[in-house]
Amino acid sequence: MIALLLAVALGVPQGQPLSGSALDQRTQEVASLLRCPVCQGMSVADSPSTVAQDMKHQVRDMLGKGYTQEQILAFFEQSYGQFVLEKPRNPWVWVLPIVILIIGAIVVVTTAKKLTRDPGPGTRDVVTDPYVEQVRKLVNHD
Amino acid sequence: MNRTVLIVGAAIAIALLAVLFLGLGKDPTAIETPLIGKPAPQFALKAVNGSETIDIARLRGKPVVVNFWATWCVPCYQEHPVLVENAPAMPNVQFVGVVFNDSADKINAFLRQNGSSYPTVLDEQGKTAIEYGVGGVPETFFINPKGVIVAKYVGPMTPDILQANVAKAMVQ
Amino acid sequence: MTATLGRFLILASVFVSAAGAMVAFAAGKSQSLDGLKMARRFAYAFAALMAIATGVMEYALLTHDFSVGYVAQVGSRSVPTWVTIVSLWSSLEGSILFWGLVMGLYIAGATWLTRGQYVDYMPFAIGTWLSCAAFFAFLIPGPANPFVSVPNPPLDGNGPNPLLQNHYLMVIHPPFLYLGYVGMTIPFGFACAALLRGRLGHAFLKPLRASLMLPWIFLTIAIMLGGWWAYEVLGWGGYWAWDPVENASLLPWLTATAALHSAVVMERRGVLKGWTVTLVQASFLLTILGTFMTRSGVFNSVHSFTQSSIGPTILVFLAAVLLYSIVLLALRVDSLESEGRIDSPVSREGMFLVNNLIFVLLTFTVLIGTVFPLVVEAFRGKQMSVGRPYFDSMVVPVGTALLFLIGVGPALPWGRTTKQQALRSLLQPLASGLVVATIGFVLGARNPWTLVTLLFGGYAAWVTIVEMSRGGAKVMKRGRRRVGAYIVHAGAVIVLVAIAVSSTMKTQTEAQLTRGQSATIGAYTVTFLGTEERNEPNRQATIARFAVTSNGKPVTTMEPRMNQYPQMREPIGTPDVHSTITRDLYLSIMNIDPSTQSVSVMMLITPMVSWIWIAVMIMGLGGVVALVPYRKRVVNEAPLTDVAAEVA
Repeated sequence: MIALLLAVALGVPQGQPLSGSALDQRTQEVASLLRCPVCQGMSVADSPSTVAQDMKHQVRDMLGKGYTQEQILAFFEQSYGQFVLEKPRNPWVWVLPIVILIIGAIVVVTTAKKLTRDPGPGTRDVVTDPYVEQVRKLVNHD
Repeated sequence: MNRTVLIVGAAIAIALLAVLFLGLGKDPTAIETPLIGKPAPQFALKAVNGSETIDIARLRGKPVVVNFWATWCVPCYQEHPVLVENAPAMPNVQFVGVVFNDSADKINAFLRQNGSSYPTVLDEQGKTAIEYGVGGVPETFFINPKGVIVAKYVGPMTPDILQANVAKAMVQ
Repeated sequence: MTATLGRFLILASVFVSAAGAMVAFAAGKSQSLDGLKMARRFAYAFAALMAIATGVMEYALLTHDFSVGYVAQVGSRSVPTWVTIVSLWSSLEGSILFWGLVMGLYIAGATWLTRGQYVDYMPFAIGTWLSCAAFFAFLIPGPANPFVSVPNPPLDGNGPNPLLQNHYLMVIHPPFLYLGYVGMTIPFGFACAALLRGRLGHAFLKPLRASLMLPWIFLTIAIMLGGWWAYEVLGWGGYWAWDPVENASLLPWLTATAALHSAVVMERRGVLKGWTVTLVQASFLLTILGTFMTRSGVFNSVHSFTQSSIGPTILVFLAAVLLYSIVLLALRVDSLESEGRIDSPVSREGMFLVNNLIFVLLTFTVLIGTVFPLVVEAFRGKQMSVGRPYFDSMVVPVGTALLFLIGVGPALPWGRTTKQQALRSLLQPLASGLVVATIGFVLGARNPWTLVTLLFGGYAAWVTIVEMSRGGAKVMKRGRRRVGAYIVHAGAVIVLVAIAVSSTMKTQTEAQLTRGQSATIGAYTVTFLGTEERNEPNRQATIARFAVTSNGKPVTTMEPRMNQYPQMREPIGTPDVHSTITRDLYLSIMNIDPSTQSVSVMMLITPMVSWIWIAVMIMGLGGVVALVPYRKRVVNEAPLTDVAAEVA
């Protein structure tokens, strides 16, 4: 009966049914992608609360019937909303750090170039004094 | 005056402060349900004190109040009289109690002690609760005659809240 | 009476810090030595008032004086004495008082240690410190008053939050965190002083760096203690969940570490002054943001017992210090003239820039991930989550790059080198990396990322040891800062490798057992001996006893438990952990039923996880070594270093 209802809700299972230790492992993996709706910030895999345990059972059942990870996550998202997905769907949150990396890399390269070229205001021209150059070499290799 | 610093700094500061300010006053633990306006998930469960099966699909045509609860939940105990007393007063509204993570014996004992005026079903392993996106108990759903969820209330029911939400479910 | 005395002391401290700040800034503007002397007296007075107020509160707690609001809130006659003492920081009002105490001690210490020196900077520094102090002192009688008088004192109280009574680690984690967080105020003051003064001279680098290093040490250990506590107490078997409050403690650590590194380049070459100052300011600002995140109730967190109505006030302070910092920076950063240059980007100096890039990237990534759900909810009204899988995917590659850099950075020589020289320096440690990776492979590591981590780790370990031992025995006298830094690096390498191994090579399984039944995990056999109920004065415990054997030989008994505290509806589980140097065996109860003597237990074997705690302590130790000052006579022994540095 439940299977019929699930099929109505979700469609046909699109993967292979799992069993044994593969089932255990995949249950853990998929459950860790679901957020426990009552605990503060724990995944369904980690939470001991009754709701989480029920959800974990459900995941196990569905994996056993051959539903894929995508189908299972979609099922929970239908009932609980995007809140229940630990991995955000929104592309911006994934893209922004990469944008910052690129900007940062550009800044670093330009700064390195600038610092190599630029003696800066207010310095004495120390590079021409051989004694100081020698001292500096000594210091820099300590 | 270093313009870059000013602009970058101001941009980050304003964005951050705005986001934090808007977050104040919101309760991060109150999760909204995506089911409002969607068809109520189907279930057909056995009544706890009898042998009839309550199939929500067959309840179309009248508004339905689905109340999720459990015997170990204190606010459920507090709201139970509200539901039991008001159900007979609304004869064209169907009330259904759904209990999960509990045992039939405990539920029957509870109902014997505290009264019952509408069917109560047992949701083994909480599968129906999951379909309804239930996080805890008590949670109550209000469904219109077409089978669409129009409202959800989290927490112990009061007569006013009950009236208001049933009214919503009456509107076609 | 006690409550009134406490309130008076707090009010006095608000006036003293506010007045002291004004005196200090005025003294700075007019460059008045007398003004500076007076400002210093105000600083000491603030510290004294905070110390006495805290003493009064502890006295009230220990004598169970329930006429004092905070004591009525968290005090109890039935908790052990150690719990009473530490309940000072168990709840908001007391912990803000504790914050004020730590701030007072830091300000007094920094004022004392800089007496007679840097007189053109100090008024501005003291002014900044006392302004921050004034805010926190104001928080106490305002939204967070622990000294409220209770008109009808109860006979007994509820005791502090049960989560705090579960474990001894709760005693030291908050103080270390406060010593780290609050300590960032001091370098912030120095940084602002340099900006206000319009100059960051070479001599002033010393107090700036030292005052950054000390809270860094505390914060490093505090973060580790938080992770260790989560591991030992929360029961899910991990030590870091990227929870918003965990992230709050990490953010200032990231920028402070970046600042410590850019300060090295600043000292050697006189460049990156503005940038270092920015990082120092950011570290302080992030502690205020962190406080807001922890206490405002805006974020969904495991730490949520610290929520309160103090959020808006902290937000106002954050806005104020943001404004102060940005305006100061925009106006004055260009006047921190750059006195030098670097020779080549492919050099150790260049690697420091890459280091900063990595740390700043990490800071932004963690910040974005934490704040993103709020942004989406503000704009779209929809709720979404950014959970552990996101942070792990983002941070792990960057962390691996960092490990790579810990090896490659110090392998490159300072200044200009030839391509040949550079290549030779870079290839030498490779053998060590390959050896470590092979050992790992032999011991069972198969995950490619783990093997890469071991390769980088071995490489970095070699470089670190070589650099540390440069200079021979005399190095402890003259090169302490450098040795200390490399000790920190050694610790960091071990931490990163241990994190990789403990995450990828763990074994986890669940078992449903009735009394007498056993389950195996790895080399261990775990037999359920039965349940036991224990009545303790502040809680009731249901314990599941297990006998653990390995290859037939008994190893230990383990007792994970569920604790029921009178004021909480659901019991709180505590796992039991058997730690050895190579691995931990971790048992956590999912379900327990004494009536049927059955238990559902989660079992976990995590290799190398103890190395994480130990290695972070090594990092802290390295910081201490780096911080211990040179004795005066050593300066005479090595004048060249100072002179050359001045000249460079």
